[in-house]
Amino acid sequence: MVVNAFDICLCLTLAWLAWQVLRSHDLFKAVVLFISFGMLMALSWVRLQAPDLALAEAAIGSGLTGALFLSALQRVTGNKRGERRLDRNEERHDKRA
Amino acid sequence: MNTFYVSLALILLLSVAAGLLRILRGPTAADRMMAAQLFGTCGVAILLLLARGFDALIVEDVALVFALLAALSTVAFVRRAWTGKITPKGRRHDHR
Amino acid sequence: MTIVELIGTGCVVLGIPFFLSGTIGLLRLPDIYTRLHALTKADNVGLGFIVLGLIIQSSSWLEVIKLLLIWFLVLMASATSCHLVADAALRKKIKPWTREK
Repeated sequence: MVVNAFDICLCLTLAWLAWQVLRSHDLFKAVVLFISFGMLMALSWVRLQAPDLALAEAAIGSGLTGALFLSALQRVTGNKRGERRLDRNEERHDKRA
Repeated sequence: MNTFYVSLALILLLSVAAGLLRILRGPTAADRMMAAQLFGTCGVAILLLLARGFDALIVEDVALVFALLAALSTVAFVRRAWTGKITPKGRRHDHR
Repeated sequence: MTIVELIGTGCVVLGIPFFLSGTIGLLRLPDIYTRLHALTKADNVGLGFIVLGLIIQSSSWLEVIKLLLIWFLVLMASATSCHLVADAALRKKIKPWTREK
């Protein structure tokens, strides 16, 4: 009973997370959502009784790929002055300061 | 199989799902990244509880890998995406 | 249920509210710095209680060492990344939140 509830919850969260990754316009938000997606994917591999795949997913999916994506994001979006604003709200923070 | 520990893991999973709202909403980039880091730690706890609940010791190894790589993405975020600087030659250096 | 199992289960259950408070703090607090505070407390103490409870019940030394290693690694990761994020936020001149008047 509880195990079924755990599985259903995991499935729903995974599907919702995948949809959010696809529909977000903000690239940084998509990367962070992808990292959490990798974490939940590792959990679901554990539930499917494939701990070896969970090991690989934890190392590659949520660890290394996240770092590589963030590194690539800097190359993609850095502007001429080298400054980098990930979203507009940071400017709002500065202005209020 | 120990159902009690699986239900504790379910509670933690629900709290992770609630924390997703902070990633979606979070005003600055750092908020999103910190939420992702909380997910990593929550994932370690869920894996430990599942390992005890299903009597599968190998799941603890997965938790070990999680704990080992927990800092990696946050460090990459702070050093590269958030404060990194690209000079015209393409080489980056910090402004301390 | 033996007394050892009872104490161990009690410790594990004690760890859960810390994680919940971490999530609630992440959702409710107003600022990067305050959120960092809630989050790292939750990580360290919550996971500490869960690991302690599992150690009390575990039978093999290998498992105990593995669990302690997991907790130590999470402590290091959380302290390092919290310091990095707070330092970078200060250097980007994001003001700490204060109550208006």
